[in-house]
Amino acid sequence: MTHQEMKPVDTKKIREMLNQEKGKMKRYLSFCAHCSLCAESCFLYMEHQKDPQYMPSYKAIHSLGKLYRKRGRLDRRSLMEMKGIVWRNCVLCGRCYCPIGIHIPSMINFARSILRSQDVYPQMDETAYESWL
Amino acid sequence: MYNFVQGQLVSISVIIFILGLLYQGIQFFKLTKKKEWVFPPLPAENKPKKKTADQWVIQCLRSLNGTLWKTDPVLTIVTSVFHVCLIVVPLFLLGHNILLDQSWGLSLFSLPESLSDFLTFIVLVCGVYFLYRRLFLARVRAITTVYDYLILIIAIAPFLTGFLAYHQWLDYETIILLHILSGELMLITIPFTKLGHMLFFFLYRFFIGTEYSFLRGSRTWAW
Repeated sequence: MTHQEMKPVDTKKIREMLNQEKGKMKRYLSFCAHCSLCAESCFLYMEHQKDPQYMPSYKAIHSLGKLYRKRGRLDRRSLMEMKGIVWRNCVLCGRCYCPIGIHIPSMINFARSILRSQDVYPQMDETAYESWL
Repeated sequence: MYNFVQGQLVSISVIIFILGLLYQGIQFFKLTKKKEWVFPPLPAENKPKKKTADQWVIQCLRSLNGTLWKTDPVLTIVTSVFHVCLIVVPLFLLGHNILLDQSWGLSLFSLPESLSDFLTFIVLVCGVYFLYRRLFLARVRAITTVYDYLILIIAIAPFLTGFLAYHQWLDYETIILLHILSGELMLITIPFTKLGHMLFFFLYRFFIGTEYSFLRGSRTWAW
């Protein structure tokens, strides 16, 4: 087990961070129409045979959305899964387009900040199947 | 019951709708601040020349290639028609305007009944298309929850019941009661649910400055 997988989750810290940007992020999440029109704007989605996991909205909903839904009460395993979503499945190129005007990169970026606060981030020495660097 | 639903409840739902939108609008302006421009405005000689009407039309048509029109033309047409009809039909429906005139003494221009009926049918067809996408397209299903179906029902129900009531299919009294109730439910839920994108579309696309803003985007999020 790596250091990242053993460290306890600081729910209070996560909640504090979530509350800091609640006004903006919760609005982004709650007014997303789940239309999937952002899909084709992501080159990773197009390159992975249109796998829904690479859709910008999917990435935002299953990372930041999940953090808000669970109010930060997540175990380390869930955070490690999120790591893959926000780092491996997204390169933060900022090309995602939302017809409503939701700024998806800022949501992914914020999810990354929260994960980093819990020492969850890509490691240089990670095994091949998890390696995206 | 019928009098309450047709009378006070209409006023209550309209008030909640307006106050709710106002609240959300005020909150938006509280959460954002005026953008500080990093770059000074271009000097007059560097500003692009004003386009003639035909140049402007050609540029607009060319820029369509970079929009959803190119990636998903069917959905672009369906969603545009759906949203236009969603606003036009209830506002310019003869029956609604007669009721408005009787109770508040004001009314808007009314569309011919046959046209309103056709546009309502179009809304229903669009609704079926949205349902089809939610059920059968993997990428839409991947992010769909029960809440999304509920929102679709809330948006379509007033049109379905209105269509049934106009053609007097099924029990008219029950259907018209359901029609009024579903319309009121829609008005009440708009400011507080996903349907709020009715307001936030304009706030995000016109006021927040991003790459995809329609205008320059004079505001930015404050934190």
